[in-house]
Amino acid sequence: MEKLSSVAKALAPSPIQELSFLAQRCNAINLAEGFPDFVAPAHIKNAAVSAINSDFNQYRHVQGICDYVAQKMKEMHGMSIDPLTDIVICCGQSEAFAAAIFAIIDHGDEVIVFDPSYETYDTCIRLTGGVPVYVGLDPPYWTLDPDKLEKAFTDKTKAVVLNRPLLWQHSPHNPTGKVFTKDELEVISEVCTRRDVLAVTDEVYEHITYDSRSHVSLASLPGMQSRTVITSSLSKTYSVTGWRVGWAIAPRCIASAIRNIHIRLTDSAPAPFQEAALTALRSPPSYFETLRSDYESKRDCIFELLVKVGFKMLFKPQGSFFVFAELPETCSLSDVEFVEELIKQAGVVAVPGAGFFHGDGCCSRRYIRFAFCKSNETLSAAAAKISELAEGDGRLKIFEHVFAL
Amino acid sequence: MAENESTQNSVPPPLQCVVFVSELRNGGNIEPLVTGNSKYVAKRLEKFKTTIFTQMSSLAIKHGAINLGQGFPNFDGPDFVKEAAIQAIRDGKNQYARGCGVPDLNLAVAERFKKDTGLVVDPEREVTVTSGCTEAIAATMLSLVNPGDEVVVFAPFYDSYEATLSMAGAVTKSITLRPPTFSAPIDELRSLISKSTRAILLNTPHNPTGKMFTRDELDAIASLCIEHDVLVFSDEVYDKLAFELDHISIASLPGMYERTVTLNSLGKTFSLTGWKIGWAIAPPHLTWGVRQAHSFLTFATATPLQHAAVAALRAPDSYFEELRRDYLAKKSILVEWLKSVGFKVFPSSGTYFVVVDHTPFGQENDVAFCEYLIKEVGVVAIPTSVFYLNPEEGKNLVRFTFCKDEQTLRSAVERMKEKLIIKKH
Repeated sequence: MEKLSSVAKALAPSPIQELSFLAQRCNAINLAEGFPDFVAPAHIKNAAVSAINSDFNQYRHVQGICDYVAQKMKEMHGMSIDPLTDIVICCGQSEAFAAAIFAIIDHGDEVIVFDPSYETYDTCIRLTGGVPVYVGLDPPYWTLDPDKLEKAFTDKTKAVVLNRPLLWQHSPHNPTGKVFTKDELEVISEVCTRRDVLAVTDEVYEHITYDSRSHVSLASLPGMQSRTVITSSLSKTYSVTGWRVGWAIAPRCIASAIRNIHIRLTDSAPAPFQEAALTALRSPPSYFETLRSDYESKRDCIFELLVKVGFKMLFKPQGSFFVFAELPETCSLSDVEFVEELIKQAGVVAVPGAGFFHGDGCCSRRYIRFAFCKSNETLSAAAAKISELAEGDGRLKIFEHVFAL
Repeated sequence: MAENESTQNSVPPPLQCVVFVSELRNGGNIEPLVTGNSKYVAKRLEKFKTTIFTQMSSLAIKHGAINLGQGFPNFDGPDFVKEAAIQAIRDGKNQYARGCGVPDLNLAVAERFKKDTGLVVDPEREVTVTSGCTEAIAATMLSLVNPGDEVVVFAPFYDSYEATLSMAGAVTKSITLRPPTFSAPIDELRSLISKSTRAILLNTPHNPTGKMFTRDELDAIASLCIEHDVLVFSDEVYDKLAFELDHISIASLPGMYERTVTLNSLGKTFSLTGWKIGWAIAPPHLTWGVRQAHSFLTFATATPLQHAAVAALRAPDSYFEELRRDYLAKKSILVEWLKSVGFKVFPSSGTYFVVVDHTPFGQENDVAFCEYLIKEVGVVAIPTSVFYLNPEEGKNLVRFTFCKDEQTLRSAVERMKEKLIIKKH
């Protein structure tokens, strides 16, 4: 009995989650999934415990979260946001994004997405009847080509002024770790304004940027606040990916629509964690400085390791806790084959990059994504295991391996 | 709302004086729906209506009314469940859980389902954990309903259903359950089902009427579904609040498991409505769709609370017996007094709701009565017209809830005794 909707039939299961199962079965060190294996900050856990004990356990909307988020947006980006009307608390950034898409995309609307991109966005857009249109960022530095962007707006998109086309952007960027420069953001904002297009941003890594580079929110550029939906969450900043508290920030009418979708999707984010979010959002500046510097040193360790063992590493991540490593030309393996070998031979799991590409790029099978949101012990252990596979010159034997067909 | 600006250690004010704006179960969004004028907002929002609750709620705050409208408790969940959540947080279970659920919880859900229905299901392939039953419903509709498909609902229905169905592009077809017995009009159902019918959305025990579908009714519905190859989405969140009848899951009827998604949650049974732990149980081919939609709606469900849910679902029989006893006691306080002050009270077999006919008090319709009740009497009820596709059908009825502590119920009842006046015709 084939009872799935036509959209559901077209969906494929998440490759990232499948690899995680494989890693578990092999007891491999997991550098694939993007969540920490170190403990969440004590002050935030204590707040959650206290909330449960104080009976914050029924449906609720904790307005204080909106107040703090608005305050932070003012401090970080100089934006004025009305906490009463412009912010919607959701079950994680995942739901904030889903609700935003449902709130603004009609059937047939085109949504421009930069490639490579986090796998969920494609399917979320399709669930609403929207059409994702991919603009590839150019390796090795993942730069934005303004011409390519301009060309992505098609005749259909034009006719979709009634059904607005939409631009989506994620910065700092999963999987590459790229942070869009101010110039690139200006290119994006100019075309959005000129074509009267909305933008939806995913800023979950907003506090994880490196080399003194600060995250610039697209919405802070002139003309953009009135046409941008910002989504973010507690998960990555406070190492509580399992708590499911996030938010969408948007101009009042759109925020209201997002809120109404959210109410039908889940109705409320988990109440005790909303309470704990107040404590998290009040963390002192030293918390964020330590977060950044800890992740920066993890980034440096893993980057150096990958260079040492022979990956082509032209691009050092500027943000997020992922590094996108390119297989050297000598390596005849595809990304999936390499990842399998790494599991079998080193007991370390990473993610093949192909799943993040949606265009026809020739480079799509050459990248591996490593996560470094792990304790120093885990990273050292992984480094040791990977290094064991190296030859005299320090490069991985796997890179020289020629598979018989 | 002052209570939401609390710091870590403050004690929240008594909930009966606080009204959550907007929806029946909503956690309290302050801002009313403002769409219509925005060219950026998608067309699917056109079906979304919320304004009645905004009116009610601001009125209620203004008049300090006792809230017997909102459908969630003003008392808290059991300590053993809360302690399990705290332990999970301290044990570091704070990162992403497996998308379809923490394996222990999937297992506990399957065990509970077997105990309740006799059905044996595979926790790994037939159970999906979601952010509350709300999300289970949304994921089910989005993955199993095509645009243009018809879905049958029984009015009065939980108001979110229609909006969520419109998100899936479905056409909502409604059949009315009528007082005094709210029995299922099977003949009407038979003539309504067509080859466009994809599913029937069932809610038993039923919000707002408290009706529980009988074995005969379920048999009749089942045979129609089998005959026309129709699915059933069965919302059973109040299954543990079954007072007059035994709750029956339609999935347990012959030929029905393969075409049913059974939906439930922790919230009502354990008075933890804000935890958002729900689930869908369905055969593998339907579960697959639900899981896909779920992974793109919320990706994963709160990890520590899932671990606590395991403890909850394995609660001894005595917990559920006490739950029923407590609610039965509350129900009798409310129902006796509602009758004695002059409402016509319809029998409610389950849930923590009761629906009454307000016309003895001479107000024009249900909304007018609820406004009068707030302003002149100081008690909140919910006008049921919002639960029908045709609001006219609900104009004589309002819904009260008894998921409040006894003191609150008695205070509300006192106010009604004092101030409700029957209009002599």
